[in-house]
Amino acid sequence: MSNPAATPVVRISSGSREVDEVLGGGLPENSINIVMGEPGSGKTTLAEAFLFANANDAKRPVLFLTTLSEPLEKVIRYGQQYRFFDADKIGTAVLYDSIAADMVTGGVSTLVPKLKEAIKAHSPRLIVIDSFKVIHDLAKSPEEVRLMLHEAAGLLTAYNVTVLLVGEYRHEDIARYPEFAVADGIIELARNALGSRDERYLRVFKLRGSSYREGSHAFEISSDGLQVYPRLVSPVEAASYQRSSKRASSGVPGLDAMFAGGVWQGSATLVAGPTGSGKTTMGIQFVVEGLKQGERCLLVNFQENPTQLAHQLEQIGGKLDAETRERLQLQYHSAVELPIDRIVVSIFKALRRSPIHRVVIDAVGDLAVAANDAARLHDYLYAMGQHFAVMGVSSLLTLEVDAGVEATSAIQGRLSHMTDNIVYLTLESRSGTMARSIRVAKARGLGHDLQPSGLQIDARGLQVIERS
Amino acid sequence: MEKRGKAIILVVDRDPHVRELEAHFLGQAGYDVIFEQDGNGALERARELSPDIIVTEILVPGLDGLALCRQLKAGPKTRGIAVLVFSVLATAGRAAEAGADAFLQKPLTDHALVETVARLLASAKKAGT
Repeated sequence: MSNPAATPVVRISSGSREVDEVLGGGLPENSINIVMGEPGSGKTTLAEAFLFANANDAKRPVLFLTTLSEPLEKVIRYGQQYRFFDADKIGTAVLYDSIAADMVTGGVSTLVPKLKEAIKAHSPRLIVIDSFKVIHDLAKSPEEVRLMLHEAAGLLTAYNVTVLLVGEYRHEDIARYPEFAVADGIIELARNALGSRDERYLRVFKLRGSSYREGSHAFEISSDGLQVYPRLVSPVEAASYQRSSKRASSGVPGLDAMFAGGVWQGSATLVAGPTGSGKTTMGIQFVVEGLKQGERCLLVNFQENPTQLAHQLEQIGGKLDAETRERLQLQYHSAVELPIDRIVVSIFKALRRSPIHRVVIDAVGDLAVAANDAARLHDYLYAMGQHFAVMGVSSLLTLEVDAGVEATSAIQGRLSHMTDNIVYLTLESRSGTMARSIRVAKARGLGHDLQPSGLQIDARGLQVIERS
Repeated sequence: MEKRGKAIILVVDRDPHVRELEAHFLGQAGYDVIFEQDGNGALERARELSPDIIVTEILVPGLDGLALCRQLKAGPKTRGIAVLVFSVLATAGRAAEAGADAFLQKPLTDHALVETVARLLASAKKAGT
Protein backbone atom coordinates (compact mmCIF):
# COMPACT_ATOMS: atom_id res chain seq x y z
CA MET A 1 0.00 0.00 0.00
CA SER A 2 1.31 3.46 -0.80
CA ASN A 3 1.96 5.93 1.97
CA PRO A 4 -0.70 8.68 1.74
CA ALA A 5 1.75 11.17 3.26
CA ALA A 6 4.29 10.55 0.50
CA THR A 7 4.70 13.46 -1.85
CA PRO A 8 3.99 12.71 -5.51
CA VAL A 9 7.02 12.00 -7.68
CA VAL A 10 8.19 15.08 -9.57
CA ARG A 11 9.17 14.15 -13.14
CA ILE A 12 12.00 15.46 -15.27
CA SER A 13 10.75 15.70 -18.85
CA SER A 14 12.78 14.72 -21.89
CA GLY A 15 10.94 17.30 -23.94
CA SER A 16 9.40 14.43 -25.96
CA ARG A 17 5.86 13.27 -25.17
CA GLU A 18 6.71 9.76 -26.38
CA VAL A 19 9.95 9.36 -24.38
CA ASP A 20 8.14 10.65 -21.29
CA GLU A 21 5.30 8.18 -21.97
CA VAL A 22 7.79 5.27 -22.03
CA LEU A 23 9.27 6.55 -18.74
CA GLY A 24 5.88 6.75 -17.03
CA GLY A 25 5.89 10.56 -17.25
CA GLY A 26 9.61 11.36 -17.27
CA LEU A 27 12.57 10.53 -15.06
CA PRO A 28 11.81 10.76 -11.33
CA GLU A 29 13.47 13.84 -9.87
CA ASN A 30 16.62 13.29 -7.77
CA SER A 31 17.40 10.00 -9.49
CA ILE A 32 20.68 8.67 -10.90
CA ASN A 33 20.21 7.23 -14.37
CA ILE A 34 22.44 5.46 -16.86
CA VAL A 35 21.99 6.00 -20.60
CA MET A 36 23.81 3.10 -22.25
CA GLY A 37 24.50 2.12 -25.85
CA GLU A 38 27.16 1.71 -28.45
CA PRO A 39 28.81 4.71 -30.13
CA GLY A 40 26.36 6.41 -32.49
CA SER A 41 23.29 5.01 -30.76
CA GLY A 42 21.92 8.44 -29.78
CA LYS A 43 22.93 8.60 -26.10
CA THR A 44 24.34 12.12 -26.14
CA THR A 45 21.37 13.34 -28.20
CA LEU A 46 18.93 11.95 -25.62
CA ALA A 47 20.95 13.44 -22.74
CA GLU A 48 21.03 16.86 -24.42
CA ALA A 49 17.28 16.69 -25.08
CA PHE A 50 16.76 16.24 -21.31
CA LEU A 51 19.21 19.08 -20.70
CA PHE A 52 17.45 21.67 -22.85
CA ALA A 53 13.94 20.54 -21.84
CA ASN A 54 14.87 21.49 -18.26
CA ALA A 55 16.86 24.62 -18.96
CA ASN A 56 14.30 27.12 -17.78
CA ASP A 57 15.82 28.63 -14.66
CA ALA A 58 19.23 30.26 -14.50
CA LYS A 59 19.09 29.92 -10.69
CA ARG A 60 18.93 26.16 -11.14
CA PRO A 61 20.81 25.53 -14.39
CA VAL A 62 21.47 22.23 -16.10
CA LEU A 63 25.05 21.05 -16.41
CA PHE A 64 26.77 18.93 -19.06
CA LEU A 65 30.17 17.57 -18.03
CA THR A 66 32.34 15.86 -20.61
CA THR A 67 35.11 13.53 -19.54
CA LEU A 68 37.50 11.85 -21.90
CA SER A 69 35.32 10.61 -24.73
CA GLU A 70 34.58 13.63 -26.90
CA PRO A 71 36.05 17.13 -26.78
CA LEU A 72 33.58 19.67 -25.40
CA GLU A 73 33.69 21.71 -28.62
CA LYS A 74 32.59 18.71 -30.64
CA VAL A 75 29.67 17.97 -28.32
CA ILE A 76 28.45 21.56 -28.62
CA ARG A 77 29.05 21.75 -32.39
CA TYR A 78 26.97 18.65 -33.10
CA GLY A 79 24.40 19.50 -30.45
CA GLN A 80 23.55 22.65 -32.40
CA GLN A 81 22.12 20.53 -35.21
CA TYR A 82 19.08 19.79 -33.10
CA ARG A 83 16.08 22.09 -32.86
CA PHE A 84 15.97 21.80 -29.07
CA PHE A 85 19.46 23.35 -28.79
CA ASP A 86 19.12 26.97 -27.67
CA ALA A 87 22.42 28.83 -27.92
CA ASP A 88 20.97 31.80 -25.99
CA LYS A 89 20.78 29.64 -22.86
CA ILE A 90 24.43 28.57 -22.90
CA GLY A 91 26.26 30.11 -19.99
CA THR A 92 23.10 30.87 -18.00
CA ALA A 93 20.50 28.09 -17.83
CA VAL A 94 22.74 25.57 -19.64
CA LEU A 95 26.33 25.08 -18.57
CA TYR A 96 28.85 22.97 -20.48
CA ASP A 97 32.16 22.06 -18.88
CA SER A 98 34.96 19.56 -19.30
CA ILE A 99 36.50 17.68 -16.40
CA ALA A 100 38.89 15.77 -18.66
CA ALA A 101 42.04 17.57 -17.49
CA ASP A 102 41.23 17.04 -13.79
CA MET A 103 40.55 13.37 -14.38
CA VAL A 104 43.77 12.89 -16.31
CA THR A 105 45.88 14.44 -13.58
CA GLY A 106 43.95 13.40 -10.48
CA GLY A 107 42.22 10.18 -11.55
CA VAL A 108 38.67 9.15 -10.73
CA SER A 109 38.85 10.48 -7.18
CA THR A 110 38.58 14.02 -8.58
CA LEU A 111 35.01 13.42 -9.74
CA VAL A 112 33.23 13.77 -6.37
CA PRO A 113 35.04 17.01 -5.39
CA LYS A 114 34.25 18.40 -8.87
CA LEU A 115 30.57 17.50 -8.48
CA LYS A 116 30.48 19.02 -4.99
CA GLU A 117 32.08 22.17 -6.33
CA ALA A 118 29.53 22.33 -9.17
CA ILE A 119 26.61 21.88 -6.75
CA LYS A 120 27.90 24.58 -4.42
CA ALA A 121 28.60 26.99 -7.27
CA HIS A 122 25.55 26.46 -9.49
CA SER A 123 22.79 24.56 -7.61
CA PRO A 124 22.15 22.50 -10.78
CA ARG A 125 18.84 20.82 -11.42
CA LEU A 126 20.24 18.27 -13.86
CA ILE A 127 23.76 16.95 -14.41
CA VAL A 128 24.89 14.93 -17.42
CA ILE A 129 28.27 13.17 -17.30
CA ASP A 130 29.40 11.95 -20.73
CA SER A 131 31.16 9.53 -20.75
CA PHE A 132 30.92 7.99 -17.32
CA LYS A 133 32.27 4.64 -18.42
CA VAL A 134 35.70 6.22 -18.70
CA ILE A 135 36.07 5.92 -14.91
CA HIS A 136 36.92 2.25 -15.44
CA ASP A 137 39.81 3.14 -17.73
CA LEU A 138 41.21 5.69 -15.28
CA ALA A 139 40.74 3.85 -12.00
CA LYS A 140 43.71 2.09 -10.45
CA SER A 141 41.50 -0.63 -9.01
CA PRO A 142 37.85 -1.77 -8.88
CA GLU A 143 37.91 -0.76 -5.19
CA GLU A 144 38.68 2.83 -6.17
CA VAL A 145 35.66 2.84 -8.50
CA ARG A 146 33.40 1.42 -5.79
CA LEU A 147 34.55 3.96 -3.23
CA MET A 148 34.09 6.84 -5.64
CA LEU A 149 30.63 5.57 -6.64
CA HIS A 150 29.57 5.28 -3.00
CA GLU A 151 30.63 8.87 -2.39
CA ALA A 152 29.08 10.15 -5.62
CA ALA A 153 25.78 8.36 -5.02
CA GLY A 154 25.62 9.77 -1.47
CA LEU A 155 26.27 13.31 -2.68
CA LEU A 156 23.89 13.14 -5.63
CA THR A 157 21.14 11.69 -3.45
CA ALA A 158 21.60 14.28 -0.70
CA TYR A 159 21.19 17.18 -3.10
CA ASN A 160 18.07 17.59 -5.25
CA VAL A 161 19.64 16.95 -8.62
CA THR A 162 18.78 14.47 -11.38
CA VAL A 163 21.74 12.78 -13.01
CA LEU A 164 22.32 11.13 -16.37
CA LEU A 165 25.46 9.01 -16.61
CA VAL A 166 26.10 8.41 -20.30
CA GLY A 167 28.32 5.53 -21.36
CA GLU A 168 29.21 3.11 -24.16
CA TYR A 169 28.11 0.20 -22.01
CA ARG A 170 27.22 -3.24 -23.32
CA HIS A 171 24.71 -5.69 -21.88
CA GLU A 172 27.36 -7.70 -20.04
CA ASP A 173 28.47 -4.50 -18.25
CA ILE A 174 25.16 -4.40 -16.34
CA ALA A 175 26.25 -7.36 -14.21
CA ARG A 176 29.91 -6.32 -14.15
CA TYR A 177 29.99 -2.64 -13.20
CA PRO A 178 28.80 -1.35 -9.80
CA GLU A 179 27.23 1.84 -11.21
CA PHE A 180 24.34 -0.27 -12.50
CA ALA A 181 23.50 -1.32 -8.94
CA VAL A 182 23.67 2.29 -7.77
CA ALA A 183 21.56 3.61 -10.67
CA ASP A 184 17.83 4.26 -10.18
CA GLY A 185 17.17 4.12 -13.90
CA ILE A 186 18.78 2.36 -16.86
CA ILE A 187 17.90 3.32 -20.43
CA GLU A 188 19.43 1.42 -23.33
CA LEU A 189 19.65 2.68 -26.89
CA ALA A 190 20.34 -0.12 -29.37
CA ARG A 191 20.74 -0.45 -33.10
CA ASN A 192 20.06 -3.69 -34.95
CA ALA A 193 20.74 -4.33 -38.62
CA LEU A 194 17.59 -5.49 -40.40
CA GLY A 195 18.19 -6.29 -44.05
CA SER A 196 19.48 -3.16 -45.73
CA ARG A 197 18.25 -0.84 -42.97
CA ASP A 198 18.96 -0.34 -39.29
CA GLU A 199 16.32 -0.38 -36.61
CA ARG A 200 16.93 1.62 -33.45
CA TYR A 201 15.33 0.68 -30.15
CA LEU A 202 15.00 2.36 -26.77
CA ARG A 203 14.52 0.10 -23.80
CA VAL A 204 14.13 0.83 -20.09
CA PHE A 205 15.71 -1.82 -17.88
CA LYS A 206 15.00 -0.28 -14.52
CA LEU A 207 13.27 2.81 -13.14
CA ARG A 208 13.00 2.86 -9.37
CA GLY A 209 9.91 4.48 -7.93
CA SER A 210 8.10 4.55 -11.25
CA SER A 211 6.18 2.36 -13.63
CA TYR A 212 7.42 2.39 -17.22
CA ARG A 213 6.52 0.94 -20.62
CA GLU A 214 8.40 -2.35 -20.93
CA GLY A 215 9.84 -3.76 -24.14
CA SER A 216 11.68 -2.31 -27.12
CA HIS A 217 10.42 1.00 -28.50
CA ALA A 218 11.51 1.91 -32.01
CA PHE A 219 13.00 5.33 -32.61
CA GLU A 220 14.59 7.44 -35.28
CA ILE A 221 16.95 10.37 -34.93
CA SER A 222 15.87 13.53 -36.70
CA SER A 223 16.55 17.24 -36.28
CA ASP A 224 14.08 17.12 -33.37
CA GLY A 225 16.23 14.55 -31.56
CA LEU A 226 14.89 11.10 -30.76
CA GLN A 227 11.51 10.36 -32.34
CA VAL A 228 10.31 7.42 -30.26
CA TYR A 229 7.36 5.22 -31.21
CA PRO A 230 6.18 3.63 -27.95
CA ARG A 231 5.33 -0.04 -28.31
CA LEU A 232 1.59 -0.50 -28.65
CA VAL A 233 0.04 -2.31 -25.71
CA SER A 234 -3.55 -3.41 -25.17
CA PRO A 235 -5.90 -0.81 -23.70
CA VAL A 236 -6.50 -1.10 -19.96
CA GLU A 237 -10.28 -0.96 -20.40
CA ALA A 238 -10.29 -3.90 -22.87
CA ALA A 239 -12.13 -6.21 -20.50
CA SER A 240 -15.06 -3.89 -19.83
CA TYR A 241 -16.06 -2.32 -23.15
CA GLN A 242 -19.55 -2.82 -24.62
CA ARG A 243 -19.97 -4.56 -27.96
CA SER A 244 -22.22 -2.79 -30.47
CA SER A 245 -25.54 -4.42 -31.33
CA LYS A 246 -25.47 -2.90 -34.84
CA ARG A 247 -24.19 -4.53 -38.02
CA ALA A 248 -21.57 -3.19 -40.41
CA SER A 249 -22.42 -3.93 -44.02
CA SER A 250 -19.51 -5.25 -46.09
CA GLY A 251 -20.55 -3.46 -49.28
CA VAL A 252 -20.17 -6.76 -51.16
CA PRO A 253 -23.57 -7.81 -52.54
CA GLY A 254 -24.52 -11.18 -51.06
CA LEU A 255 -21.80 -11.32 -48.39
CA ASP A 256 -23.84 -9.82 -45.53
CA ALA A 257 -26.38 -12.64 -45.99
CA MET A 258 -23.58 -15.18 -45.40
CA PHE A 259 -23.10 -13.46 -42.00
CA ALA A 260 -26.85 -13.56 -41.29
CA GLY A 261 -27.11 -9.81 -41.80
CA GLY A 262 -23.53 -8.52 -41.69
CA VAL A 263 -20.66 -8.52 -39.19
CA TRP A 264 -21.01 -6.69 -35.87
CA GLN A 265 -19.91 -3.09 -35.77
CA GLY A 266 -16.57 -2.87 -33.98
CA SER A 267 -15.57 -6.41 -34.96
CA ALA A 268 -12.39 -7.45 -36.78
CA THR A 269 -12.62 -9.38 -40.05
CA LEU A 270 -9.75 -11.24 -41.67
CA VAL A 271 -9.97 -11.69 -45.43
CA ALA A 272 -7.46 -14.31 -46.59
CA GLY A 273 -6.76 -15.48 -50.10
CA PRO A 274 -4.17 -15.86 -52.84
CA THR A 275 -2.97 -13.12 -55.19
CA GLY A 276 -5.77 -11.92 -57.45
CA SER A 277 -8.57 -13.37 -55.35
CA GLY A 278 -10.11 -9.95 -54.62
CA LYS A 279 -8.85 -9.07 -51.11
CA THR A 280 -7.92 -5.46 -51.90
CA THR A 281 -11.18 -4.98 -53.80
CA MET A 282 -13.15 -6.28 -50.81
CA GLY A 283 -11.30 -3.82 -48.58
CA ILE A 284 -12.17 -0.95 -50.91
CA GLN A 285 -15.84 -2.02 -51.03
CA PHE A 286 -15.87 -2.11 -47.21
CA VAL A 287 -14.59 1.48 -47.15
CA VAL A 288 -16.95 2.68 -49.91
CA GLU A 289 -19.92 1.19 -48.01
CA GLY A 290 -18.84 3.00 -44.84
CA LEU A 291 -18.57 6.29 -46.71
CA LYS A 292 -22.05 5.75 -48.20
CA GLN A 293 -23.39 5.41 -44.66
CA GLY A 294 -21.78 8.68 -43.61
CA GLU A 295 -18.93 7.01 -41.67
CA ARG A 296 -15.29 8.08 -41.44
CA CYS A 297 -12.89 5.54 -42.92
CA LEU A 298 -9.15 4.88 -42.95
CA LEU A 299 -7.53 2.75 -45.63
CA VAL A 300 -3.95 1.69 -44.90
CA ASN A 301 -2.03 0.24 -47.81
CA PHE A 302 1.54 -0.92 -48.33
CA GLN A 303 1.57 -1.63 -52.04
CA GLU A 304 -0.25 1.12 -53.86
CA ASN A 305 0.24 4.84 -53.40
CA PRO A 306 -2.71 7.11 -52.48
CA THR A 307 -3.22 8.23 -56.11
CA GLN A 308 -3.59 4.65 -57.32
CA LEU A 309 -5.85 3.84 -54.39
CA ALA A 310 -8.07 6.87 -54.95
CA HIS A 311 -8.43 5.80 -58.57
CA GLN A 312 -9.55 2.29 -57.56
CA LEU A 313 -11.94 3.76 -55.01
CA GLU A 314 -13.58 5.95 -57.64
CA GLN A 315 -13.88 3.01 -60.01
CA ILE A 316 -15.88 1.11 -57.41
CA GLY A 317 -17.59 3.87 -55.47
CA GLY A 318 -17.90 6.53 -58.17
CA LYS A 319 -16.55 10.08 -57.95
CA LEU A 320 -16.26 11.16 -54.33
CA ASP A 321 -17.68 14.59 -53.51
CA ALA A 322 -15.71 16.95 -51.24
CA GLU A 323 -17.70 16.07 -48.12
CA THR A 324 -17.19 12.31 -48.67
CA ARG A 325 -13.52 12.78 -49.52
CA GLU A 326 -13.10 14.63 -46.21
CA ARG A 327 -14.34 11.54 -44.35
CA LEU A 328 -11.78 9.30 -46.04
CA GLN A 329 -8.13 9.00 -45.02
CA LEU A 330 -5.66 7.10 -47.15
CA GLN A 331 -2.31 6.07 -45.75
CA TYR A 332 0.50 4.60 -47.77
CA HIS A 333 3.52 3.17 -45.96
CA SER A 334 6.58 1.44 -47.26
CA ALA A 335 6.82 -1.69 -45.15
CA VAL A 336 10.37 -2.24 -46.34
CA GLU A 337 11.57 1.13 -45.08
CA LEU A 338 9.54 1.69 -41.93
CA PRO A 339 9.38 -0.15 -38.61
CA ILE A 340 5.95 -1.42 -37.60
CA ASP A 341 5.97 0.92 -34.62
CA ARG A 342 5.98 3.98 -36.84
CA ILE A 343 3.18 2.60 -39.00
CA VAL A 344 1.03 1.81 -35.98
CA VAL A 345 1.67 5.25 -34.44
CA SER A 346 0.58 6.80 -37.73
CA ILE A 347 -2.66 4.76 -37.72
CA PHE A 348 -3.44 5.77 -34.14
CA LYS A 349 -2.66 9.42 -34.83
CA ALA A 350 -5.36 9.29 -37.54
CA LEU A 351 -7.75 7.66 -35.06
CA ARG A 352 -7.06 10.34 -32.47
CA ARG A 353 -7.50 13.22 -34.93
CA SER A 354 -11.14 12.36 -35.59
CA PRO A 355 -13.37 9.40 -34.76
CA ILE A 356 -12.92 6.67 -37.37
CA HIS A 357 -15.62 4.03 -37.90
CA ARG A 358 -13.88 1.68 -40.35
CA VAL A 359 -10.23 0.73 -40.84
CA VAL A 360 -8.85 -1.46 -43.61
CA ILE A 361 -5.27 -2.76 -43.38
CA ASP A 362 -4.13 -4.13 -46.71
CA ALA A 363 -2.15 -6.30 -46.12
CA VAL A 364 -1.08 -7.80 -42.80
CA GLY A 365 1.70 -9.74 -44.53
CA ASP A 366 3.38 -6.42 -45.31
CA LEU A 367 3.21 -5.49 -41.64
CA ALA A 368 5.03 -8.75 -40.93
CA VAL A 369 7.94 -7.46 -43.02
CA ALA A 370 7.99 -4.27 -40.97
CA ALA A 371 7.66 -6.17 -37.69
CA ASN A 372 10.88 -8.14 -37.98
CA ASP A 373 9.59 -11.13 -36.05
CA ALA A 374 6.33 -13.04 -35.71
CA ALA A 375 5.96 -12.54 -31.95
CA ARG A 376 6.30 -8.77 -32.36
CA LEU A 377 3.67 -8.76 -35.11
CA HIS A 378 1.36 -10.86 -32.96
CA ASP A 379 1.69 -8.44 -30.02
CA TYR A 380 0.97 -5.47 -32.26
CA LEU A 381 -1.99 -7.02 -34.02
CA TYR A 382 -3.50 -8.19 -30.75
CA ALA A 383 -3.12 -4.77 -29.13
CA MET A 384 -4.37 -3.01 -32.24
CA GLY A 385 -7.42 -5.30 -32.39
CA GLN A 386 -8.20 -4.56 -28.73
CA HIS A 387 -7.91 -0.82 -29.30
CA PHE A 388 -10.19 -1.02 -32.35
CA ALA A 389 -12.76 -3.03 -30.38
CA VAL A 390 -12.76 -0.59 -27.46
CA MET A 391 -13.04 2.36 -29.86
CA GLY A 392 -15.88 0.66 -31.75
CA VAL A 393 -13.90 0.64 -35.02
CA SER A 394 -14.91 -2.04 -37.53
CA SER A 395 -11.71 -3.38 -39.07
CA LEU A 396 -10.92 -5.49 -42.10
CA LEU A 397 -7.44 -7.01 -42.43
CA THR A 398 -6.33 -8.71 -45.60
CA LEU A 399 -3.81 -11.54 -45.69
CA GLU A 400 -2.22 -13.18 -48.69
CA VAL A 401 -2.02 -16.97 -48.49
CA ASP A 402 -0.91 -19.53 -51.04
CA ALA A 403 -3.58 -20.83 -53.40
CA GLY A 404 -5.41 -23.80 -51.94
CA VAL A 405 -3.92 -23.28 -48.49
CA GLU A 406 -5.92 -22.28 -45.46
CA ALA A 407 -4.58 -21.85 -41.96
CA THR A 408 -1.04 -22.99 -42.53
CA SER A 409 1.05 -19.89 -42.04
CA ALA A 410 2.09 -18.81 -38.60
CA ILE A 411 0.57 -15.38 -39.10
CA GLN A 412 -2.75 -16.82 -40.17
CA GLY A 413 -2.89 -19.15 -37.19
CA ARG A 414 -2.31 -16.25 -34.82
CA LEU A 415 -4.72 -13.99 -36.67
CA SER A 416 -7.49 -16.59 -36.52
CA HIS A 417 -7.55 -16.28 -32.73
CA MET A 418 -7.46 -12.52 -32.80
CA THR A 419 -10.16 -11.75 -35.36
CA ASP A 420 -13.91 -12.10 -34.93
CA ASN A 421 -14.66 -13.09 -38.49
CA ILE A 422 -12.69 -14.95 -41.16
CA VAL A 423 -13.45 -14.96 -44.86
CA TYR A 424 -11.51 -17.13 -47.31
CA LEU A 425 -11.32 -16.20 -50.95
CA THR A 426 -10.13 -18.92 -53.33
CA LEU A 427 -9.17 -19.20 -56.97
CA GLU A 428 -9.43 -22.63 -58.53
CA SER A 429 -9.17 -24.06 -61.98
CA ARG A 430 -12.39 -25.72 -63.09
CA SER A 431 -12.84 -27.17 -66.56
CA GLY A 432 -9.90 -25.17 -67.80
CA THR A 433 -11.12 -21.80 -66.46
CA MET A 434 -10.36 -20.07 -63.18
CA ALA A 435 -13.29 -19.79 -60.78
CA ARG A 436 -13.54 -17.66 -57.63
CA SER A 437 -15.24 -18.72 -54.45
CA ILE A 438 -15.83 -17.29 -50.99
CA ARG A 439 -16.32 -19.00 -47.66
CA VAL A 440 -17.04 -17.69 -44.16
CA ALA A 441 -14.91 -19.78 -41.80
CA LYS A 442 -15.68 -17.89 -38.60
CA ALA A 443 -18.25 -15.32 -37.49
CA ARG A 444 -18.09 -14.66 -33.75
CA GLY A 445 -21.53 -14.29 -32.20
CA LEU A 446 -23.33 -14.79 -35.49
CA GLY A 447 -25.07 -17.66 -37.24
CA HIS A 448 -23.33 -18.08 -40.56
CA ASP A 449 -23.33 -20.15 -43.70
CA LEU A 450 -20.27 -22.41 -43.79
CA GLN A 451 -20.82 -23.43 -47.40
CA PRO A 452 -18.67 -21.76 -50.06
CA SER A 453 -20.36 -19.57 -52.63
CA GLY A 454 -19.26 -18.35 -56.00
CA LEU A 455 -17.69 -14.93 -56.37
CA GLN A 456 -17.76 -12.66 -59.35
CA ILE A 457 -15.59 -9.62 -59.94
CA ASP A 458 -16.24 -6.79 -62.40
CA ALA A 459 -15.62 -3.04 -62.58
CA ARG A 460 -18.00 -2.42 -59.64
CA GLY A 461 -16.18 -4.90 -57.41
CA LEU A 462 -16.98 -8.28 -55.92
CA GLN A 463 -20.40 -9.90 -55.85
CA VAL A 464 -21.40 -13.20 -54.23
CA ILE A 465 -23.22 -15.50 -56.64
CA GLU A 466 -24.75 -18.93 -56.39
CA ARG A 467 -22.17 -21.61 -57.01
CA SER A 468 -22.85 -23.21 -60.40
CA MET B 1 17.91 34.91 24.35
CA GLU B 2 21.11 36.91 24.29
CA LYS B 3 21.72 39.13 21.26
CA ARG B 4 24.27 37.74 18.81
CA GLY B 5 25.70 38.92 15.51
CA LYS B 6 25.05 36.01 13.16
CA ALA B 7 22.23 33.59 13.74
CA ILE B 8 23.44 30.14 14.81
CA ILE B 9 21.99 27.09 13.10
CA LEU B 10 22.52 23.65 14.62
CA VAL B 11 22.34 20.97 11.94
CA VAL B 12 21.66 17.41 13.14
CA ASP B 13 22.34 14.83 10.44
CA ARG B 14 24.40 11.67 10.13
CA ASP B 15 25.02 12.16 6.37
CA PRO B 16 28.30 14.00 5.77
CA HIS B 17 27.17 15.22 2.33
CA VAL B 18 24.01 16.78 3.74
CA ARG B 19 26.01 18.39 6.55
CA GLU B 20 28.57 19.79 4.14
CA LEU B 21 26.04 21.14 1.66
CA GLU B 22 23.83 22.62 4.40
CA ALA B 23 26.87 24.31 5.92
CA HIS B 24 27.80 25.75 2.54
CA PHE B 25 24.37 27.11 1.59
CA LEU B 26 23.48 28.37 5.08
CA GLY B 27 26.97 29.85 5.49
CA GLN B 28 26.57 31.58 2.13
CA ALA B 29 23.28 33.01 3.40
CA GLY B 30 25.13 34.56 6.36
CA TYR B 31 24.54 32.08 9.20
CA ASP B 32 26.92 30.30 11.56
CA VAL B 33 26.45 26.56 11.26
CA ILE B 34 27.36 23.95 13.85
CA PHE B 35 26.80 20.19 13.65
CA GLU B 36 25.77 17.19 15.63
CA GLN B 37 25.46 13.65 14.30
CA ASP B 38 23.05 12.26 16.89
CA GLY B 39 20.03 13.40 18.88
CA ASN B 40 21.53 13.18 22.37
CA GLY B 41 24.51 15.30 21.37
CA ALA B 42 22.17 17.79 19.76
CA LEU B 43 20.05 18.11 22.92
CA GLU B 44 23.13 18.75 25.04
CA ARG B 45 24.46 21.29 22.51
CA ALA B 46 21.09 23.06 22.34
CA ARG B 47 20.95 23.45 26.13
CA GLU B 48 24.50 24.71 26.17
CA LEU B 49 24.47 27.08 23.14
CA SER B 50 20.82 28.04 22.57
CA PRO B 51 21.08 28.13 18.78
CA ASP B 52 18.51 30.17 16.86
CA ILE B 53 17.34 27.21 14.79
CA ILE B 54 17.82 23.45 14.88
CA VAL B 55 17.59 21.67 11.55
CA THR B 56 17.24 17.96 12.24
CA GLU B 57 16.77 14.75 10.29
CA ILE B 58 14.38 12.28 11.97
CA LEU B 59 16.68 9.33 11.29
CA VAL B 60 19.62 10.15 13.56
CA PRO B 61 21.30 7.84 16.09
CA GLY B 62 20.40 7.86 19.77
CA LEU B 63 17.51 10.23 20.28
CA ASP B 64 15.63 10.44 16.97
CA GLY B 65 14.73 13.80 15.43
CA LEU B 66 11.09 13.74 16.57
CA ALA B 67 12.01 12.78 20.15
CA LEU B 68 14.64 15.52 20.12
CA CYS B 69 11.99 17.98 18.99
CA ARG B 70 9.58 16.93 21.80
CA GLN B 71 12.30 17.24 24.46
CA LEU B 72 13.37 20.65 23.15
CA LYS B 73 9.79 21.93 23.20
CA ALA B 74 9.27 20.52 26.73
CA GLY B 75 12.37 22.16 28.20
CA PRO B 76 11.99 25.69 29.60
CA LYS B 77 15.46 26.67 28.32
CA THR B 78 15.02 25.25 24.84
CA ARG B 79 11.32 25.61 23.96
CA GLY B 80 11.98 28.95 22.22
CA ILE B 81 14.40 27.38 19.71
CA ALA B 82 12.75 26.99 16.28
CA VAL B 83 12.94 23.42 14.99
CA LEU B 84 12.97 22.56 11.30
CA VAL B 85 12.52 18.85 10.66
CA PHE B 86 14.38 18.10 7.43
CA SER B 87 13.94 14.45 6.62
CA VAL B 88 13.90 11.87 3.91
CA LEU B 89 10.65 10.61 5.50
CA ALA B 90 7.38 12.17 4.31
CA THR B 91 6.15 12.85 7.85
CA ALA B 92 5.06 16.50 7.99
CA GLY B 93 2.13 15.53 10.25
CA ARG B 94 4.26 13.69 12.79
CA ALA B 95 6.76 16.55 12.80
CA ALA B 96 3.96 19.02 13.58
CA GLU B 97 2.65 16.74 16.38
CA ALA B 98 6.14 16.68 17.88
CA GLY B 99 6.05 20.49 18.00
CA ALA B 100 8.26 21.25 14.97
CA ASP B 101 7.96 24.76 13.59
CA ALA B 102 8.47 23.65 9.98
CA PHE B 103 9.01 20.55 7.88
CA LEU B 104 10.98 20.03 4.68
CA GLN B 105 11.42 16.79 2.83
CA LYS B 106 14.80 15.76 1.45
CA PRO B 107 16.61 15.95 -0.92
CA LEU B 108 18.23 19.25 -0.21
CA THR B 109 17.24 22.19 -2.36
CA ASP B 110 19.29 25.17 -1.27
CA HIS B 111 16.62 27.80 -1.98
CA ALA B 112 13.93 25.92 -0.05
CA LEU B 113 16.25 25.40 2.93
CA VAL B 114 17.54 28.97 3.07
CA GLU B 115 14.06 30.45 2.59
CA THR B 116 12.55 28.26 5.35
CA VAL B 117 15.34 29.12 7.77
CA ALA B 118 14.94 32.84 6.97
CA ARG B 119 11.17 32.61 7.53
CA LEU B 120 11.64 30.86 10.90
CA LEU B 121 14.16 33.46 12.02
CA ALA B 122 11.82 36.29 10.99
CA SER B 123 8.95 34.68 12.97
CA ALA B 124 11.18 34.21 16.01
CA LYS B 125 12.30 37.84 15.80
CA LYS B 126 8.71 39.04 15.50
CA ALA B 127 7.67 36.90 18.49
CA GLY B 128 10.59 38.26 20.50
CA THR B 129 9.79 41.95 19.91
